[in-house]
Amino acid sequence: MTDLSTSKPLPTITDLTRPFWSAAKNGRFVLQKCGRCATFNFHPKPWCIECGSRDLSWVDAKPFGTVYSHTVSRNVAMNSPEWQSEIPLLMCLIDLDDGARMYAQVTDCRPEDLHIGMRVEVHCVDISEDAGIPKFRPLVASAKAGAPDAA
Amino acid sequence: MRGEVAIVGYGRTPYSRAKPGEPVLTVDEYIAWAADLALQKAGLSKNDFDGQGLGVAHAEVAHTVNWSAATAENLGISPQILLRADQGGASAASMLIRAAAMIHAGIVDRVLVVGADTPLSIPSAAPGLPLSPERTRGVYWDFQGPFGVMGASAQFALVQTRYMYQYNLTPEQLGKIAVNARFHASLHPGAIYRKPFTMEEYLGSRMLSDPIRLLDCVPIVNGGLAYVVTSAKTARTLTDRPVYLRGFGEINNYYHGSRALPDITTTGFTQAAPQAMKAAGVTHREIDFLQPYDDYPFIAMMTIEDYGFCKKGEGGRFVEEHDLRFDGDFPLSTDGGQLSGGQPGGAIGGFMPLVEAVTQLRGEAGERQVKNARIGAACGFGGIPYGRPGRSCISLILGTEP
Repeated sequence: MTDLSTSKPLPTITDLTRPFWSAAKNGRFVLQKCGRCATFNFHPKPWCIECGSRDLSWVDAKPFGTVYSHTVSRNVAMNSPEWQSEIPLLMCLIDLDDGARMYAQVTDCRPEDLHIGMRVEVHCVDISEDAGIPKFRPLVASAKAGAPDAA
Repeated sequence: MRGEVAIVGYGRTPYSRAKPGEPVLTVDEYIAWAADLALQKAGLSKNDFDGQGLGVAHAEVAHTVNWSAATAENLGISPQILLRADQGGASAASMLIRAAAMIHAGIVDRVLVVGADTPLSIPSAAPGLPLSPERTRGVYWDFQGPFGVMGASAQFALVQTRYMYQYNLTPEQLGKIAVNARFHASLHPGAIYRKPFTMEEYLGSRMLSDPIRLLDCVPIVNGGLAYVVTSAKTARTLTDRPVYLRGFGEINNYYHGSRALPDITTTGFTQAAPQAMKAAGVTHREIDFLQPYDDYPFIAMMTIEDYGFCKKGEGGRFVEEHDLRFDGDFPLSTDGGQLSGGQPGGAIGGFMPLVEAVTQLRGEAGERQVKNARIGAACGFGGIPYGRPGRSCISLILGTEP
């Protein structure tokens, strides 16, 4: 069963962001892609931050990324006390294979194993009746699907 | 615009950690208190600002719409122009630039700039910690809070981890900045924490968000600050020690590298600082002290290298090789900084580097006075963009001569 805790902060869902939350609720990972210059934007933007086009649409994104940086939060600060149960919390900046960067929690990993360059894959966790959220876990070495395109 | 305006007064109220039994002042009371101190120093009264300018920094504490005009109402001033900055810790510096432009254009002759906040009095989702409505609205929060991002310490820890991957930086080098700030705080009666600590105590302080320790973190306080800026001509009629704005540089929403995947280890100071120094006509060697926006030692270190005092990536070594005390060869955060002085909210802490720079250049810094200080650099650093270090970076070069 997925955790349906409603105590942690929940996003205010707008028409702009609903596709992201709904997709994650259904186990899918989507990003805004620019119809003009093909840039992936994250977090959701009102127009493409690369070229200024408002022609952005939500598309399925590659559910893989690489750890760009990491920290281990050892207490709850400036967030809901309900996070306490997940301390120590592994927080990362993930460079997605599609070329955007996002804050995300890494799970199923010991703090001492977390490192820059680590390959990770998305798994979605329900956070409410309307929303899921993407988290990441280390990619097992045998999963060829996670190999970077250019590597 | 070099030397066309000067700061003639400044004020910094005592700070409060809002402990039980302490009187709890409102943000309006802190604004009036800070303005009173600045006006006394300038030899002006509030009535001298009718028809002139009033600048008000935003605050996190709840306030009304049209807040700058409401502040004028609270103070009983009828200004011709209002400035309102919402650039976090760059607000004080940005209003100095805007005020200078207004004075340069001949629209006004003087501007009173105020800022105060009472972050410890904001009802919070996390007891004891500020989490204001301004922080928890909008897409920016929606894609951080629910993801588990734990505020500035986590955000800056991510920048620091990346920096330490790309460059050499030791905990001892950052510890030196923290220990030095506390030493300076011991010489500043208004600093909130004044008992010196050792490198061992720094290294032994508990990890909050690796690699950021407890003694890396800025303590939040309630308080207010203010300054008065006038045309150089008026300044010389008010004081024999005007502090001139020699040059400034500003960049907002700076990306180092691509927008989608920027290098987050370089700040906008890499643009703002050369711009300010060129405008001021000064070189690094002529700068007598640096007042960085030091909410974390790591930010102060990045500021030093992005100012160009050393090569990128060598900030840690620079800190190690220089004496950062007020009487050393590279005086840094001579008021104890925000690290030991206290931060009256993310928006108002940015007044402190400016106020300390003016204090030093007027020769009014008492026990921590930098000898023969003639040219100083002060920073504004405001807001934390998504996944990057600083939304607004402002460099100010101030001097005793125009």
